[in-house]
Amino acid sequence: MTVFALIIINKAGGLIYNRTFHEGGLNKISTNDYLVLAGTFHGVHAITARLNPLKPRVGNRSSTSSSSGPGGLLTRPEPPSGLEVLESENFRMQCFTTLTGVKFLLFTDPTQANVDLTMRRVYDMYTDYVMKNPFYQLEMPVRCDMFDRKLGSYIREINNR
Amino acid sequence: MVVYSFYIFDRHTECIYSKTWLPTSSDPSSGSGPATATATTTTTNHNHYNPATALRPSTADDAKLIFGAVFSLRNMVRKLGGDDDAFVSYRTAHYKLHYYETASSLRLVMLTDTATLSMRNVLHQIYINLWVEYVVKNPLSPVEHKGGVGVRNELFELGLDQFIRGLI
Repeated sequence: MTVFALIIINKAGGLIYNRTFHEGGLNKISTNDYLVLAGTFHGVHAITARLNPLKPRVGNRSSTSSSSGPGGLLTRPEPPSGLEVLESENFRMQCFTTLTGVKFLLFTDPTQANVDLTMRRVYDMYTDYVMKNPFYQLEMPVRCDMFDRKLGSYIREINNR
Repeated sequence: MVVYSFYIFDRHTECIYSKTWLPTSSDPSSGSGPATATATTTTTNHNHYNPATALRPSTADDAKLIFGAVFSLRNMVRKLGGDDDAFVSYRTAHYKLHYYETASSLRLVMLTDTATLSMRNVLHQIYINLWVEYVVKNPLSPVEHKGGVGVRNELFELGLDQFIRGLI
C-alpha cells in the first residue's frame, strides 16, 4: 500500500503542484520534465474524452440537425469524461477531474485499493487549505504550508499502514 | 464483456488494420432499431473509402487519435516507471483501452467496455495465434504492410472475428 506521488494540473494544462511521497516508486525526473508531462497529459486527456466508441463525436453532433432539440433549443452536451485510471506494470495512476477542470493525478503502486477514497480526501484538503486560503491566486502554483502539512501527514499514515 | 474495436499499428506508426464490433443502433444516422452487432472492417486508406462499409466516417481519424494518445501515454509511463515498464491499459467512464506492444514495435490496441479485466493476454494470443500464423508466415504477405496490405487476408479476418466473438 503505497502512494508514490501527487500532481495537480490546472485547467490550462499547467503544473501547479507536484510532490513525491515515496522514494523509489517512480523515476526521478526534473521539474521541467514534470511540466512537460503535465502539458502532455492535459492533451491526452482531451483526446481520450473524444474517443468514446459508443457516442457520436461532439463535432459531428453539432454539424447535424439532431443537436437542436424540440423548439430549436440546443441540447446541453454531456460533461466530457476523459482518462480516469491508467495502469502500467510498475504503477497505477488515478485521475480525478473537478467540475472546474482541475486535474488531480495520484500515482500509487499497482495493487493499491480504495484510491477513490484517498483522492476524495486529497480533494477535500485542496478545497479546505488551498481554495479557502485568501492569499492563493487561482491557476497559480500551490504554495500553502497548511496544505503541505496536512497532505503529508495523511499520506504518511496511508504509506505506513 | 463487450469489445468495441481493435487496431494494429506498425512500427512506422501507421494503422495497418482496424475493425469495429459496434452495434448499428449506436449510429444515429442509421434508422435501424436495436439490431445485432455487425462487424465492420474499414480501410484506413482514403482511396478505398467506401461509405457503405464504413460505419462511421471518422474511423481513420479515430485511429490517428488513438495512436497519438497511446504513444504519449507509453512515453509518459516509460519516463516515470523506468525503461522496463510497460503501459497496460487506461479506463474512462465510457470505455477501456488495452495496449500491447511486441518487441518489433507492433502495437495492438483494443477498446472494450469498462468492466473488462486486463486483456493483455488476449492481445498476446492474437499476436501469437493470428498475426504470426496468418500474416507473418504467409509467403505472399509483404514485410511492410503499407496501407494494410497482407493483413486483410481471409484467414486472419475470420480467425480474429471468431476469437473475439468467442470472448464476448
